[in-house]
Amino acid sequence: MRYLLLVVFATVLLTASAQKQITKTGTIEIFSETPLFTIEGTNKKVASILNTENGEVVASTLVRSFKFHEALVEEHFNENYMESHAFPKSIFKGRIIDFSSLDLSKDGTYDIMIEGKLTIHGETNYVKEKGTITFADGIISASTEFPVSLKAYKIRVEKAYTKAIQDEILLKIHFNYKPYSKK
Amino acid sequence: MIKKYILRLFLILLVIPFSHVSLYSQDDLLGILDDEVEEEIDYTAYTFKSSRIINMHSIEQMKTGELDFRINHRFGTVNSGAYEMFGLDNALINLCFDYGVTDWFMVGLRRGTYQKTYDGSLKFRIFRQSKGLKVMPVTLSYYVDMSVNTLKITDPSIEDIFSNRLAYTHQLLIARKFNERLSLQLIPSFVHRNLVPDDEENDIYAIGIGGRYKFARRLAITFEYAYASNTAGDNKYYNPFSIGLDIETGGHVFQVFFTNAQAMVEKAVIAETTGNWLEGNFRFGFNMSRVFTLSKKSH
Repeated sequence: MRYLLLVVFATVLLTASAQKQITKTGTIEIFSETPLFTIEGTNKKVASILNTENGEVVASTLVRSFKFHEALVEEHFNENYMESHAFPKSIFKGRIIDFSSLDLSKDGTYDIMIEGKLTIHGETNYVKEKGTITFADGIISASTEFPVSLKAYKIRVEKAYTKAIQDEILLKIHFNYKPYSKK
Repeated sequence: MIKKYILRLFLILLVIPFSHVSLYSQDDLLGILDDEVEEEIDYTAYTFKSSRIINMHSIEQMKTGELDFRINHRFGTVNSGAYEMFGLDNALINLCFDYGVTDWFMVGLRRGTYQKTYDGSLKFRIFRQSKGLKVMPVTLSYYVDMSVNTLKITDPSIEDIFSNRLAYTHQLLIARKFNERLSLQLIPSFVHRNLVPDDEENDIYAIGIGGRYKFARRLAITFEYAYASNTAGDNKYYNPFSIGLDIETGGHVFQVFFTNAQAMVEKAVIAETTGNWLEGNFRFGFNMSRVFTLSKKSH
């Protein structure tokens, strides 16, 4: 009887972990273009977990993991705008709306809506954005692309640079998930 | 007996439903992420705004493929009065090219008005201040400079051979960024000049200290001082002291300051500074730096 109980517990734990999908190498690309200045940065160290049981998603990354071609742009990004020493992490906590209506066993790409709380530069805003999710041979990947307003996250651009740096910065986010198993 | 089975059945029934209910909240998911993501070495960046504190090198250097072009000026002494526009009529200039071969190795070439000097320098970063996975309290770099005085020799008693024109500076740069505002650096230095006047020493040891206090987003106060051994007697030379302001704009760092050193090459700053602050014998100067990215590397 005791063994039976153990088996039941083990099954519970195993299913619980198989229901989670994880990545530590998700990407976020940021992009801004004005006639004066183009900003392109890439972060390849974004961590995320998708709970396939209820569609809950969290993502987190270190701001200083954003890399730019020009070291000076990277310096200004960290020092003057994102203030990565004071606000080292950016975090998303949310869910995929109506995730239960998706059939994970059928391969294909589906349009989804994502909503949740996005924290950047110490400021948290509610976001609701379109995205896509792809199931292929049991592998789940997800993408979304949306602009964020610097003002909304209290990232201050000095007047002298407002022509070079627009308020809306485009984020392109992509995650290739793997099933999560506890270390 | 039956009671015992009922109890067990009850326990099983209690457990089964959980396999269909989320056991995790979003915060738990974030907790899993924190556990899963390996801690990294968090290198301290941006200890100084520029590769120079004022006259002396800071631990900052160009990244791979970056070229720093500098136009540095030191004007005449402020106590030269209104006739000389307080020194602005006379300027010594120094053109510098510093190139980052790798993130930890920089080469520099310069030409300065003072003694019509050409000099070449190398800067190596040995280790970096860091926290996280590896804790290191300071950044350590090694800087070496070789300079050539190309003045025409008018004194017939001096043999005009090339080696007589050479001088060398070796410096350890030890810096710590205490916080976002305050960074300090120690600079143990050794200067060797192959040929010096009778009353001077060939070898000079010095200890420099420099720092910055960043008081606004793009502004910092800077200072530096060096105590040199064996400076000649009769108040011929003074220890270099400078105080200034770093102003950062888009692609430039603009450094303005007052200093008693007339030259910019290290051997002269340390061993041949003639200005006495107490007599108003200091000068206005500026370093203007523009960084060009020559080869774009993806990190």
